[in-house]
Amino acid sequence: MYKSVFTVTIFAVFSVVHCSSCLNIDVTSKSFTTQDATIVSNIGYISEFTVGCSSGDVTSLYAELEGNLVPVSVVGSSKYQVSWTEEAKTARSGEKVIRIFDEDGYNSYRKALRSGEDVSSVPALFSVAVNHPGAYSGPWLKSEFVATVVSLVIAYFALASRSKVVS
Amino acid sequence: MSKSQNKGFTKEEELLLQDFSRNVSTKSSALFYGNALIVSAVPIWLFWRIHMIDVYSSLVLFAVVTAVSTYLLAMAYRNTKFTLKHKIAVKREEAVTRDLTKKLAEDKKMSKKEKDERILWKKNEVADFEATTFSIFYNNALFLAIVILASFYLLRSFTPAVNYTLSIGTTAGLLALLSTGSQ
Repeated sequence: MYKSVFTVTIFAVFSVVHCSSCLNIDVTSKSFTTQDATIVSNIGYISEFTVGCSSGDVTSLYAELEGNLVPVSVVGSSKYQVSWTEEAKTARSGEKVIRIFDEDGYNSYRKALRSGEDVSSVPALFSVAVNHPGAYSGPWLKSEFVATVVSLVIAYFALASRSKVVS
Repeated sequence: MSKSQNKGFTKEEELLLQDFSRNVSTKSSALFYGNALIVSAVPIWLFWRIHMIDVYSSLVLFAVVTAVSTYLLAMAYRNTKFTLKHKIAVKREEAVTRDLTKKLAEDKKMSKKEKDERILWKKNEVADFEATTFSIFYNNALFLAIVILASFYLLRSFTPAVNYTLSIGTTAGLLALLSTGSQ
């Protein structure tokens, strides 16, 4: 009797775990980054992704940002969003790959952090790419500087021709 | 005899006088004032669109500063022209004489005196034209360069209205003052 109860319990637990984990994960993501940095000091990054599973479901998700795990917000059914900002001066253009972990991955990651192991070896559930094409922070030369230089060159030309006439 | 005395000067003397006079013809004066007005009014755009002065509330200021600047710039044009005219006349004299002598050489009927008169007149015309155009170019170039430099860099910490008045007023004043020099 006890044996059969134990077997059922084990089976039930296993099936719950089995059902909750996501099979054949399918992720589609889109991203947004600030592209006009003329009047802002920070670049905002937003990655929004939809996670689909053929069976099962995903648990809470965590994103790895600069060596930290932060919770990913749920913004709809199977829709998640992670966002952060960086200083405009240090934000490099190009593609950033953000690793996303589920609860299990989160635990493994924490364990690796505690024991001082390399966290990059912890397998991620999936990763999303955020492409930052670079932000426009204004022209290299300010227009008033160009105007001043051009007008001074013309003024110099005028003075030079005058001294040529006067001499 | 008395008639000619009453009349004053001969044609040649009048030409010579005109050559050395500081007065300018009405046409030249109109050109100077027109040009000075345009150049004085151009910075209004700069202060309106770039330095963000409210045009309607500053209309009186714009009008007054533009009028003063127009007067000072026209004075600078006149003085610069007067200073340069003689220098240009001396520089162009030889070329004008050579050119005109070649042209008038075929005309045997013309007396030497008339030929000289024509050369003098031509020389005056050439020097006048060159001095007028150069004076306008020279003063405009300096005016705009100093205004841009002053408004963007030297007086940038002032309010736009003070910046406008000081940059336009002092630049036009400076040019008028500099033009009174003999060199």
